[in-house]
Amino acid sequence: MAQAETLFDASELTVSMGPQHPSTHGVLQVKLKLDGERVLDAECVIGYLHRGVEKLGEVQTYGQFVPTLDRMDYIAAVSNCLGYCETIEKLLGVTAPPRAQYIRLIMTELNRITSHLLWLGTHAIDLGAITTFLYCFREREEILKIFENYCGARLTTHMFRIGGTQYELYEGFQDQVRTFIQDFPKKVDEYETLLTENRIWLDRTKNVGIISAKDAIDLGLTGPSLRGSGVQWDLRKAKPYCVYSEFDFDIPVGEVGDTYDRYLVRMEEMRQSARIVSQAIDKIPDGPLMAKMSKIIKPPVGDIYHSIESPKGELGYYIVSDGSTMAYRARVRPPSFVNLQSLKKMVAGHMVADVVAVIGTLDIVLGEIDR
Amino acid sequence: MDFVIDNIIIPLIKIGIVFGVLSGVVALMTLAERKVAAFIQVRLGPMRVGPHGILQPLADGVKLMLKEDILPAKADRWIFTLAPIIALVPAFIVFAVIPFGSTFNLFGKTIALRITDLNIGLLYVLSISSIGILGIILGGWASNSKYPLMGALRSAAQMVSYEVALGFSIMGVLMISGSLSLVEIVNKQKEFGWWFVFLQPLGFILFFVCGIAETNRAPFDLPEAESELVAGFHTEYSGFRFSLYFLAEYANMIAVSAMAVTLFFGGWLRPFPNVALPGFLGLLDAPLMGPVWFAIKVAIFLYCYLWFRWTWPRYRYDQLMKIGWQWLLPLAIANLVATAAIVLLFVRKG
Amino acid sequence: MKVKRRDLSLIKRLFLVDLIRGLKLTFGYQRPSANYTEQYPKERPKIAERFRGAPRLNNDPVTGETLCIACNLCALACPEHCIEVGWERDPAGKKVLTTYTFDVSRCMFCGLCEDACPTPCLELTQEFEMSLYGRRDMKLDRKTLEEGVQPVIYLK
Repeated sequence: MAQAETLFDASELTVSMGPQHPSTHGVLQVKLKLDGERVLDAECVIGYLHRGVEKLGEVQTYGQFVPTLDRMDYIAAVSNCLGYCETIEKLLGVTAPPRAQYIRLIMTELNRITSHLLWLGTHAIDLGAITTFLYCFREREEILKIFENYCGARLTTHMFRIGGTQYELYEGFQDQVRTFIQDFPKKVDEYETLLTENRIWLDRTKNVGIISAKDAIDLGLTGPSLRGSGVQWDLRKAKPYCVYSEFDFDIPVGEVGDTYDRYLVRMEEMRQSARIVSQAIDKIPDGPLMAKMSKIIKPPVGDIYHSIESPKGELGYYIVSDGSTMAYRARVRPPSFVNLQSLKKMVAGHMVADVVAVIGTLDIVLGEIDR
Repeated sequence: MDFVIDNIIIPLIKIGIVFGVLSGVVALMTLAERKVAAFIQVRLGPMRVGPHGILQPLADGVKLMLKEDILPAKADRWIFTLAPIIALVPAFIVFAVIPFGSTFNLFGKTIALRITDLNIGLLYVLSISSIGILGIILGGWASNSKYPLMGALRSAAQMVSYEVALGFSIMGVLMISGSLSLVEIVNKQKEFGWWFVFLQPLGFILFFVCGIAETNRAPFDLPEAESELVAGFHTEYSGFRFSLYFLAEYANMIAVSAMAVTLFFGGWLRPFPNVALPGFLGLLDAPLMGPVWFAIKVAIFLYCYLWFRWTWPRYRYDQLMKIGWQWLLPLAIANLVATAAIVLLFVRKG
Repeated sequence: MKVKRRDLSLIKRLFLVDLIRGLKLTFGYQRPSANYTEQYPKERPKIAERFRGAPRLNNDPVTGETLCIACNLCALACPEHCIEVGWERDPAGKKVLTTYTFDVSRCMFCGLCEDACPTPCLELTQEFEMSLYGRRDMKLDRKTLEEGVQPVIYLK
């Protein structure tokens, strides 16, 4: 690996933070060019988790493709489902009934909390705060129990169908969600006590991985990473989908664009998601769960792009239909793939220990990047 | 005959007891670490091996001894085996000068509750603890691999930097007590009636922080953290040799705690050592209670070690070195100068 | 809304306020009696009712005959093509089920087959302990599916 003649004569050392590494959140290979301890350049090698999801979209029918998409961003599986179902519904020209949309909204926001909790746990454990990981997973367990009670699976949920939702709310759903939402802000306060004002955390995350707003927009960054740099762009407010326009919530925005800002943005987003759920849980209307449409889904010939705000960023689906029961092309715009491009800019000039912090703050999921 | 008993048999018995107790405490620390970590993290920890996991250290020991003994190709075999021993032994021999209690009478003989009383005890401790660093460097070198070597050098550099601040932070105690002998230091605390921590609070904080950095524990454990590029000096070690490094770390922790207790918290003295206690509470003054008080205080310090590790994140390496050289050392020197001024002006005058 | 960046004032820095607050929080958590730990595998974990686990073919409780009408909808619904339905027509012209194989090694437990089945015959039970020793054992036949995957005996 060393391109130097003797061990210590390295003016430029290429080191591979290989695919097997405890902190790269999946099988990601980062080739670092080091000058002593400073990083000169970073090159990401991906593709270790490629499973051919987009090709499967061409050989499975629209309805059969939905559970395959859960495996893409396996942490925020509900968002994947929501995005795809909404895209096909737009293509078909049907709208899910209001009850289904409210259920979809509640589950998606709970999933956002789950995803951010996992992000916080793994980010903290990379930087040495091991206890935060266990606390986050305790909260996550509560939500996963709700998911299991609702649809039968915790991680690869397959909750929604094209046209609505399949499962009716179970007995005790509202109470369970309400109990969780009431306790949750106190738990977020606990994480903040452990980390937000801790001098060690501030030293590790302030001014690490700075990206300016202009660079962020140029690179196509979306999601909390973009909002950390000061750009107020959230698809839930900019191009409302589902029933987000009926709810009252704020979009947290940072100023400097460093790791600390992104951390604060995501912590606040967790609180705002809890706020949305607490508003929605009281207002679920009655009605049917599925829209009136034929069982065999044959969209008209055409194409469509629709995107939603997943916990990682803008998750987009581009479907080209040729009139048959299977898509001609099912293209996914994964947010982590586009966000990962900014790693090079963020990491240049920092130390090796900061690379770990920056990968953590981008919140990437390899299942989504490689598909 | 008297000579033999006084100078060979009794010291041997004392050494045996101290060594045995220390080994037991080190083994117990491995379990305590896991249990305390578990309780902080809302879980239970080892529960299967023995009631509430008491026999877990035994199971760990058996496992580590039965593991395959891997020696990297082209590694220097003798130094590879010798390095963990060099790291472990100094931590144990520090306890030769630490006083566990005062004296008591047994069959007409006066037995002092310490192995020996060197009149340069403090100097002895500081110099012995520097030898442990050698064990780490040799371990990294003998592995004949790039990453352990870099990790070992970083670890050694960290330990050496904090040694300096450590030395300066205990100078204040030295000045107040006027002696390098650890027994004298504890006796002076009894004389003053106050533990030295009340006279040297800054010195104590500096000592403890430097002690944590010396033993490579959180928040200063970057050289041996798993999520780092360089996995640390014990990458190539497995099985019994790895367990020696592991035990060396815990033994070092106990040594630092024992030193902190002796220098700042009154060693074997009980709280308020000069206040006479009425009635049966006078038992608390018995000579054999000395080790008990010592053990309680050391246990509290060890608990603090574990507590700090599982609560706080860790520092980056350059921040770590910056703290050692730019903050702790100047503060230690300032403490030294202030103490010297006060001793000169107020104590010597009178 | 703008997020609030925190900075440590000199007093807070000097008196280690932030570090002590963190310590207080973790100290307060040390009550093992307040933990709830599921001692799996000694006790059975709590599984939700709708859990999508091992498949099972149900029989009519009264007559003992299979409820399956061999409509083949489950095989058509499956994204992984795990299910193979074998049928024949009886003298009255009705479809009768002969063989039914379900390849558990390819199944992703999505539940589309259970949704598609018009009768209460095919269901995904709450069994998840399905370890087997070979891939060929994973193609479950009709008999295994009707008996259901045998549960492990728990101590509690």
